[in-house]
Amino acid sequence: MISDQSKKEIDFWVKKYPEGRESSAVMQALTIVQKENNGSLTNELIKEIAGYLGMPVISVQEVATFYENYNHKPVGKYVIRFCHNISCMLNGSDDLISYLEEKLEVKTGEISKNGLVSVKKVECLGACVGGPMCQIGDQYYEHLTTKKIDEILGNLK
Amino acid sequence: MVDIEFEIDGKLVNANQGDSIISIADREGIDVPRFCYHKKLSVAANCRMCLVDIEGNPKAQPACSTPVANGMKIYTKNDKAKNAQKAVMEFLLINHPLDCPICDQGGECELQDVAMDYGSDVSKFNEGKRIVADKGIGALIQTDMTRCIHCTRCVRFGAEVAGIVEMGLTGRGEDVKIEPFLTEGIQSELSGNMIDVCPVGALTSKPFRYEARTWQMNAIQSIARHDLVGSNIYTQTYRGKVKRVVARDNEVVNETWISDRDRFSYEGLNHESRSLSPKIKKNNEWQDVSWEVALDFAVSGLKENTQMPSQFGVLASKHSTLEEFYLLQKLTRSFGSENIDYRLDKADLSIDNSLSSTITLAELESIDHALIVNSYLRLEQPMINHRIRKATLSGASVNTINIKKFDFNYGISLEVLSAPQRTVSMLQSVLKSLHEKTRTTLPKYLSKTKTDVTHNKIADDLIAAENPVIILGEHINSNPSSSNVVGLISEIAALSNAKIANLSLTGNSLSAERVGFKPANGGSDVTSMLSGDTKSFLLMDVDPNYDFISSKLATDTFNKKNVFVVSLNSFEDEQTLSSADVILPLACFYESSGTHINFDGVAQSFSASVSSPGDSKPGWKIIKVLADLLGFEGFDYTDSSQVADDALSIDITVDNNSEVNIEVSEDSQVTAHWQNSPYASDAITRKAKALQETQIGKINDAFVSDLTAKELKLSEGDLYHGVPVSINDSVAEGCVFVHTYQSRQG
Repeated sequence: MISDQSKKEIDFWVKKYPEGRESSAVMQALTIVQKENNGSLTNELIKEIAGYLGMPVISVQEVATFYENYNHKPVGKYVIRFCHNISCMLNGSDDLISYLEEKLEVKTGEISKNGLVSVKKVECLGACVGGPMCQIGDQYYEHLTTKKIDEILGNLK
Repeated sequence: MVDIEFEIDGKLVNANQGDSIISIADREGIDVPRFCYHKKLSVAANCRMCLVDIEGNPKAQPACSTPVANGMKIYTKNDKAKNAQKAVMEFLLINHPLDCPICDQGGECELQDVAMDYGSDVSKFNEGKRIVADKGIGALIQTDMTRCIHCTRCVRFGAEVAGIVEMGLTGRGEDVKIEPFLTEGIQSELSGNMIDVCPVGALTSKPFRYEARTWQMNAIQSIARHDLVGSNIYTQTYRGKVKRVVARDNEVVNETWISDRDRFSYEGLNHESRSLSPKIKKNNEWQDVSWEVALDFAVSGLKENTQMPSQFGVLASKHSTLEEFYLLQKLTRSFGSENIDYRLDKADLSIDNSLSSTITLAELESIDHALIVNSYLRLEQPMINHRIRKATLSGASVNTINIKKFDFNYGISLEVLSAPQRTVSMLQSVLKSLHEKTRTTLPKYLSKTKTDVTHNKIADDLIAAENPVIILGEHINSNPSSSNVVGLISEIAALSNAKIANLSLTGNSLSAERVGFKPANGGSDVTSMLSGDTKSFLLMDVDPNYDFISSKLATDTFNKKNVFVVSLNSFEDEQTLSSADVILPLACFYESSGTHINFDGVAQSFSASVSSPGDSKPGWKIIKVLADLLGFEGFDYTDSSQVADDALSIDITVDNNSEVNIEVSEDSQVTAHWQNSPYASDAITRKAKALQETQIGKINDAFVSDLTAKELKLSEGDLYHGVPVSINDSVAEGCVFVHTYQSRQG
């Protein structure tokens, strides 16, 4: 269920577009609803968003599956979104992702046993100058090394 | 306006501003390969197969999305164009499986054809091909999404033509997929067209799966006669069986589309209850006999049971052919009887066909306002609804006066609810409002009528529109005061300069009207035949359980001991077996030649696609032989086209002097309206298995409003004449709307 608070937030975005173009707010709506539902979406929520914005359900699903920032399976409290595109890859992102997987005993796309962290490979986040890099919450972590990763993981509680 | 001159493959041609290169190439007979482009759908330009070289352009351009310009020089076959097309082809084949030998599309596949022309023998790619898991999208369409090339024709078809967005393109890049949101199955009544638009074997016909290879089949031009449109089709046959039905282009009739009912009903031809040999009932035991014995038995039975001609009655299904209607009425009138009728499901038989349509199918697209009265148009006449939808896309508005708010695939401005018994007073109010607004003399019978905002709005919309149409649908048939409704509608149309589309005469009813298949000169109509002194019946393709407004009255009459019933029927259903004394096996749809008269009044003839199974015979031949055996003159036909010629040349004058009834007493009693779901509309459709498994085929609800439910002491899930009750606030007060595949009860 989408809470009234979230609906208010969605309305804020809907108002930014001309009347009859409510569907333009679909990305914000998905983001707001995903945040409320602990970082992931379900079919029911997608249906509800479609109903709220007056869109066909499949059209919402198209958007929700196109963009990497929407999750369709439950995620940990923190999602480590690790870039694996060209600049980061040339600077060793593959090794760092393997290191992360070993250390947390998870595979990409899974949640760690304590439910705290999940790892996701994502496309370029626009911080190539600081590659290899990852995003946790709203924070970018750049020029990553194994040591830096240990430090970051230590701070996640 | 032709205002652009340019060159294509060295040929100087003219075009209009905004025409795409591909449309002109098609017109000029120049072959440009394409997958995503479809003349009836929007341009997506995502397959890139139609790349052509335009002089002065550094890169090849897609012909589908590039408009022509003055002085352009286009080359579709030079090296640059060919190289570009070959490169795209190679990309498309990276992931497309090489399973043509087991693919139903093989032999009629656009990808296969284009790969023959543009594909390379060797691919540079050695990587494994991707495999896409299937969700399954219902009983009609088989999915093999591994074969999909993501042209999005099916997605655009859903959004632009069917009006229900069900398929979508999810994921991205390597993971992109065409799929519906959930696996509930496709809901559209036009979904089968996705099979036709799919250029590869991703969407194929499920009932046709592995039935035959496309090149083994014969394609025969035919006409679908389930609805008023008479969609043009090809029946594809293999070894004497209809294996598939596909659409045939006819811009003024069905464009390139056909409804699912027209496409999949052929399955009923092979149903196990087909009547294969003549049968007679002796001492309550059925025995298979030869045609001679059965016909003798029928003729002597008819003669013995009928002391005077007026005791003989003939009833025919509205789906019979023009030839069958003509010969049957000729036979009956030769007999000296006027007791003929096809209006089996009509409650009010008092008037002649006083409401003729004054608009054509193609003109329906250019209306700017429609008032739909008593119709679930989307399911009743899918192709006519599609024309209205096209009109709404270019700005037309639609109001409805219906028993329930229905699920249309376009927006309705004003949905007015009206129980059948209140439709007359509703229309009277609209008429009064029109009189007041046009300042014309108010007829006396409207002096006490009250009007309110709703009626004024309906009247306003009709007056304001330049090109309005009033559409009358099937629900009117079971309305006991339908002659008043019809009268009021013609008054309203006259006053508001609206055209009329009368869709209540569906199937091949217009053929019956053309040959006068209705009692004249004091003959009995269907109700008086059933409740009167008729001793012998000749039934043409009639199912006593489904076809009559009161199936109880019909079955009780036919089951009487002293009533002799000859049934020409394609199926041996329980009810047919119990009510008939002779069953003469009848050729079904596509097994007999015939003629259908469509909404535009066009008589479309078709030949038999296959011969009928067993000993069954075409209806017109059976009637001809019966007439010969009864000793009547004038039945020397050797070909159905001779019958059609005769039928179309006779002139039946129809009395058109019906008057609007003045005094209408409003009935406060709760009424029930029974509508069969579209896939239960005729015998062959009811026997088509795949159609019955779809969402539309499973429609089975008795809708009733909360208040009326309390009055009738019904609660959610109770059975109302065998149909589960659904309490719903979108139904008019004071009535029960039964929408079901089940046969009529009571």
